[in-house]
Amino acid sequence: MENTEIKLEAVHKSYYLANGEEIPVLKGIDLEIKKGEFVAIMGESGGGKTTLLNIIGCLHPLSEGKYFLEGENIGEVRDDFTLAFIRNKKMGFIFQQFNLFSRLTALKNIALPAIYAGIDKDEREARAMALLKSVGMEDRAHHKPTELSGGQQQRVAIARALINDPEIILADEPTGALDSKSGLAIMDIFSGFKKENKTVAMVTHTAEVAKYADRIIYLRDGKVIDNDYKLTSAY
Amino acid sequence: MAFEALLGNKLRAALSMLGIIIGVTTVIAVFAVGQGAQNAVNAQFQNLSANSIIIMGMFGRGATQSSKLTTADARAIMEKAEHVKSAAGSIMGNLSASYGSESGSYSVIGADANYFSISNLKLGSGRFFEEADVDSKAMAAVIGSDVVAALFPDGGNPVGSTITVGGKRLEVIGTIEEVGSNIGRMSPDEAIIVPDTTAQKSLLGDRGQVMINAQSDTVDNITIATEEITAILRAEHKLKVGAEDDFRIMDAGSMIGAAQSAATLMTVLLTAIAAITLLVSGIGIMNVMFVTVAERTKEIGIAKAIGGKRADILGQFLLESVAMSMIGGLIGIILGHGIIYLVNQVESLSSIITLAPSVLGVSIGFGFSVLVGVTFGFYPALKASRLDPVDALRSE
Ligand SMILES: Nc1ncnc2c1ncn2[C@@H]1O[C@H](COP(=O)(O)OP(=O)(O)O)[C@@H](O)[C@H]1O
Ligand SMILES: [Mg+2]
Repeated sequence: MENTEIKLEAVHKSYYLANGEEIPVLKGIDLEIKKGEFVAIMGESGGGKTTLLNIIGCLHPLSEGKYFLEGENIGEVRDDFTLAFIRNKKMGFIFQQFNLFSRLTALKNIALPAIYAGIDKDEREARAMALLKSVGMEDRAHHKPTELSGGQQQRVAIARALINDPEIILADEPTGALDSKSGLAIMDIFSGFKKENKTVAMVTHTAEVAKYADRIIYLRDGKVIDNDYKLTSAY
Repeated sequence: MAFEALLGNKLRAALSMLGIIIGVTTVIAVFAVGQGAQNAVNAQFQNLSANSIIIMGMFGRGATQSSKLTTADARAIMEKAEHVKSAAGSIMGNLSASYGSESGSYSVIGADANYFSISNLKLGSGRFFEEADVDSKAMAAVIGSDVVAALFPDGGNPVGSTITVGGKRLEVIGTIEEVGSNIGRMSPDEAIIVPDTTAQKSLLGDRGQVMINAQSDTVDNITIATEEITAILRAEHKLKVGAEDDFRIMDAGSMIGAAQSAATLMTVLLTAIAAITLLVSGIGIMNVMFVTVAERTKEIGIAKAIGGKRADILGQFLLESVAMSMIGGLIGIILGHGIIYLVNQVESLSSIITLAPSVLGVSIGFGFSVLVGVTFGFYPALKASRLDPVDALRSE
């Protein structure tokens, strides 16, 4: 228990269409992710991977079940202040489509979560600059996202996820929009999270990417069918 | 705060401001037209006191040579009416006048010595004529400022000069201070004023149109005075019982009343136009704001996903809406006044109306547009901020 970062118990999630029709997507998810563990979430398209990761990232609420974050059940928390705090300080979210502010420079994009955290300008820009360096982008500090390649944008997004030094990194197909070479460069950065003892949950449908993880959780039709899925030796 | 994250889209800012600019500008212009019209109405009556009564002869039907209104009628009114403080007859016609090589056609007014004070005219230079001039049928003239400007373009003092009016030589003994615009009525600025006896005998004769300017002793007595004058003139003109009056009486009260009700109608009309303008510009502002909702919603989704609190995000959007609306409003104020200035430069319009910016127009235009801008800029953000980040992010 001490060692558990994230634990879900019987989590259900349904979407509701405008006509009120219920679309059950997660149908009783049980999973546990340990501190410092790098977990990949795999499964067929439409199986509910994104839905699951968004619940873990507090980007939308679960419909039923329990969500323990460091032993505390936050599944019923709806309070904006607490949720914003968790998203801001506890986790860094990396999207497939980067979701950078197109009118801000790389540096300002990275510094934005630190503004919400109330960190003063000098400190946050110094941190942002250091992070840019660590992802090999220091010479692009004042470029806007439109002036960067997809791989470069994703590196900026990773730096943004790291600015408040979160314990947890959540990534939804971080290489999904990239060519395989840029994708590998991104996975290089991910493999460095291990020694910083960050807990990582990453959705992917590519075995090449999943092999970087310590463990693979496999979803099908809204349920975990394998908690320690093994890739075939071909990879 | 992370202001620049949400502000900085120049196109969005420009579009948002456009509706506000148009709204403020239009309302200011509309109100300036209204104020200008109001001013024109006021100017028309500025040299008419509230107890003035004007009597004019009938034109056409019913007007016979024998019953014609004459300046002598003024003296009869003065003598017999109890509630009339003063009555001055004048005779009016158009004659050509010249001095040196300059000439023009002007109104010639034959009046008695009281005329100047009754008409609220102020002396420019020289003197007005007196009883003695009237009695002696003096060949003397007092001229208006436009006449001075036309006949004496070199700017010399006309007093003492001899001008030719209707073929007769008259000495200029005085000038009248400029009265200004006087829409719908003959302006004293364009008049040559001579003793009525002179006009009757030497200048206009029977061709003149007689008018009597009278004043009741108090404003309250204006109706009684009007009745007295009617009775006196009917007796003087020997009208039979049942015969129609061969003169027309207008009192200042009813003239001002008519003008004021016209002005009130105009105000109602302009208010309606302003309301429509505000409605249209309001809808414009609303549309522009709603066009950017999807973009804003996505931004709010990102901001929430990286840990922005609703309060932080809404603070930024409120600031953005207020700043944008205020800047738009200020540009609208400047533009509105620019339009007023330009319209007032148009020579052909300036004689009809002079647009006057009004505080009311500026406050209503600015206040309403900024309110609409802030409301419709902020409200969608308020709604978006209530969404789960996932739902906000889905918006494109
Ligand atoms: N907002 C939504 N409304 C309705 N259905 C949705 C919504 N989002 C996702 N779904 C549905 O939920 C299922 C799981 O989606 P998702 O979690 O994105 O799967 P994955 O990431 O594994 O491809 C899909 O069938 C998808 O169509
Ligand atoms: Mg997905």
